[in-house]
Amino acid sequence: MLESIPTQLRIIAFIGAVIVAVVALVALRGEWPKTKLEDNVTKIMMVLLTLGCVEVALVAIGTIGRVK
Amino acid sequence: MAAAHAHAVGDAEYAEVSGHRLLGFLFFLISDCVIFGNFIFSYLYLRNAAPVWPPVGIERPYLYLAAVNSIVLFGSGATMHYAMEGMRHDRRSQFVAYTIATIVLGSMFLGGQAYEYTHLLPHTTWAGTTFGASFYTLTGLHGFHVFIGVIFLIVVLLQTLRGTYTQERHFGLTAATLYWHFVDVIWVALFFLFYIY
Repeated sequence: MLESIPTQLRIIAFIGAVIVAVVALVALRGEWPKTKLEDNVTKIMMVLLTLGCVEVALVAIGTIGRVK
Repeated sequence: MAAAHAHAVGDAEYAEVSGHRLLGFLFFLISDCVIFGNFIFSYLYLRNAAPVWPPVGIERPYLYLAAVNSIVLFGSGATMHYAMEGMRHDRRSQFVAYTIATIVLGSMFLGGQAYEYTHLLPHTTWAGTTFGASFYTLTGLHGFHVFIGVIFLIVVLLQTLRGTYTQERHFGLTAATLYWHFVDVIWVALFFLFYIY
């Protein structure tokens, strides 16, 4: 069933990736001055989360990923 | 009762104990990383040893549903961060709203994964091929972690509503937030391995 609606899924994935990446970068900026251990771990997590969003955005625009 | 016990401890002592507990929790997350790392390297070994990947007759998992599902999970990481910020600034309503959003998004991710297992991979079984075994073991283990994370969040949400945590004393929430970020980050690697690479 989903094979018939790839364009809609790609648009949703792309828009979602951009929104979440921006939110993660804003969160990273807010965390940046903090120096406690959990804050530093959070910074790493936010960077990796942004990386994940870039991954999904590239999939959505067809740059990476194999459909079949 | 837990709150009463927590407040019976002085601030300095609580900070020291929290530091030790945080370190212990981070060691737990690192050991969990090792478990995932073992399975990931097993998958890579099997993949590189196979002449054709995925094996003949096995379809690749459907990319675009997984992409949307990934964004649902990554979005839950962002909402969890802002839930924690709400607690740090003593904004209870922000904490509650964002934690509920995180629980809903985590449950949606699990629903998407269940749909993928039941509808999109009819010829891929856990016992059929090395691909199926690797795929279901790793994504299933991750899904189990997400499920535990959802339960963890429901528990800390209920504890917060009962007044267990305060702006100064909320180690349980810190642990839940770190755990949730951890399951997000593991999915970044799994999404790449199974759907892109």
